[in-house]
Amino acid sequence: MHAVVNTAVTPAPGFREALAFEWTKFTGLRSTLWTTAAAALVTVAGAVFVSLTRSLQPDDTVLGGSLTLSVVGLMIAGVVGALTVCGEYSSGTMATTLAAVPRRGRVPAAKTVLVSAVLYVVGLVSCTVAYLLGDAFLDGSYAQGRPLPALFGIAALFSVVGALGVAIGLVVRHPAGAVTVVIAVLLLPSLFGPLFGDLQRWVAGAAPTAALEKLTQTSDAAPEAVGSLGGWPSLALVTAYTALALAAASGVLCRRDV
Amino acid sequence: MSAVAVLPSVEDMIEARELTKRYGGRTAVDGLTFTVRPGAVTGFLGPNGAGKSTTMRLALGLVRPTAGSVTVAGRRYSELAAPLREAGALLDARAVHGGHTVRRHLLGLARSHGIPARRVDEVLGAVGLESVADRRARGLSLGMAQRLGIAAALIGDPGVLILDEPVNGLDTEGIRWIRALLKSLAAEGRTVFLASHLMSELELTADRIIVIGRGRLLADTDMRTFIESNSPHATLLRTPAEESGRMRALLEARGAAVRPDAHGRWRVTGPTTTDIGELAREHRIAVHELTPCRSSLEEIYTALTGAAVEYRSTRSADANAEEELSCMPS
Repeated sequence: MHAVVNTAVTPAPGFREALAFEWTKFTGLRSTLWTTAAAALVTVAGAVFVSLTRSLQPDDTVLGGSLTLSVVGLMIAGVVGALTVCGEYSSGTMATTLAAVPRRGRVPAAKTVLVSAVLYVVGLVSCTVAYLLGDAFLDGSYAQGRPLPALFGIAALFSVVGALGVAIGLVVRHPAGAVTVVIAVLLLPSLFGPLFGDLQRWVAGAAPTAALEKLTQTSDAAPEAVGSLGGWPSLALVTAYTALALAAASGVLCRRDV
Repeated sequence: MSAVAVLPSVEDMIEARELTKRYGGRTAVDGLTFTVRPGAVTGFLGPNGAGKSTTMRLALGLVRPTAGSVTVAGRRYSELAAPLREAGALLDARAVHGGHTVRRHLLGLARSHGIPARRVDEVLGAVGLESVADRRARGLSLGMAQRLGIAAALIGDPGVLILDEPVNGLDTEGIRWIRALLKSLAAEGRTVFLASHLMSELELTADRIIVIGRGRLLADTDMRTFIESNSPHATLLRTPAEESGRMRALLEARGAAVRPDAHGRWRVTGPTTTDIGELAREHRIAVHELTPCRSSLEEIYTALTGAAVEYRSTRSADANAEEELSCMPS
């Protein structure tokens, strides 16, 4: 049987196979599937909560109000990215994965493509549903906000934060540590921003959560708190440093002994 | 299996050249040079911490050598176009995500190389895990996990198998099964590289043996030569009581070491059993028992690695091994 399979009939595996490998692992785990589902559910639940409690500030928008809890969904998106990497370190399968894909750069690349694609769909669907629910339940006194093309940008932000989670997972390796770092990266800039005085708008404004606030056009996205950079440029900024973080993390993976 | 598969192929060798790995100040692998050839089970023996696992990780490109090189099928592992089709490895049976089912774990590996899903069922059948295919890995016994690890190693039908302690956790039936499996894989022309710290296991399975201690090569030979060249010639000899003194004198005159054993025999080291028999006939001494002795592999191994662990007491370790030499009719 040895020679039969070992013939050159089947081409050498490439990125496509690495992606299929990651997809098989991702969809075979209840933990990652449920965590991904939680990112969507919490966003939708937020819209229902805000509508029922009528807790929205009078100056807020329907879009911003409906997506109140999308910031939690965004954090969970980052956790999903981290878990796809850290789950392999904690279970010891990273050695198996790298033995199957010894061109190591393909592993974070495939994980990033997978996580980003899944989270784009999850982000787009859940945020659209949340907006439609908010639109149906919130009374007409609020400014509407412009959902298009903002919803596409918000979905893209879910993708990018998932990728950032992959990068953090690669460097930190330990699941609890990586989850902590993901949440810190998302929360701390806005928490500690005021400590930086005039620099606040740069510190807080560069965070993924600031990009989210701007894209959802919520009243929280005041220029004095998160800077005057618009939603789309903010998204581009987050994407740029995520790309740098991923490149650095892939470099670490390629050099490190497993 | 086609006829081609039976031909040993130089393409399937594992070759280490001056392979060295240092972790900080500790040298895990120290200038190892060896070749693992196809068509045989090559035992890789050493005490815990001797560097066996590190050597295997180096071979699989998981760990980067400090110096030297190791190739699999003629290339560095990371340069293999389709690594799982060239080499399959079992490093740690517990290294499976507990949330994955047995089938899903194998399916992922298959898809990483575009291997059709039916191959998953083939290897599940080959290791006898069909009945637990849909069970999650965290529920597997260590024995089942070892079988899953072997299934994973076989998924690409590779010419080279690298297995680190695959016998751990297997019951008697499982041990017998894996022994037969490894021998049949070698008989098909594959290279089987089998690490163990259990001499007794390798003695029954391996055709060739590479012994390391403290990261250094201690022996690299075929099993029979290993046993023969490392056992001191010893023979147990019983003659009638009235002749035993004369026999001893004759043997000692030829430079043999003669000592009494607990059963009233002479334990003779130096001349071969044949020479002792001829000597007795020449001097018309009756022989009631003449038994050639060989040390077991376990004893040779203990002597070898004992020497590697305690460099300064090499001589005493050897002497002890000889002292405890037991008799194995060969």
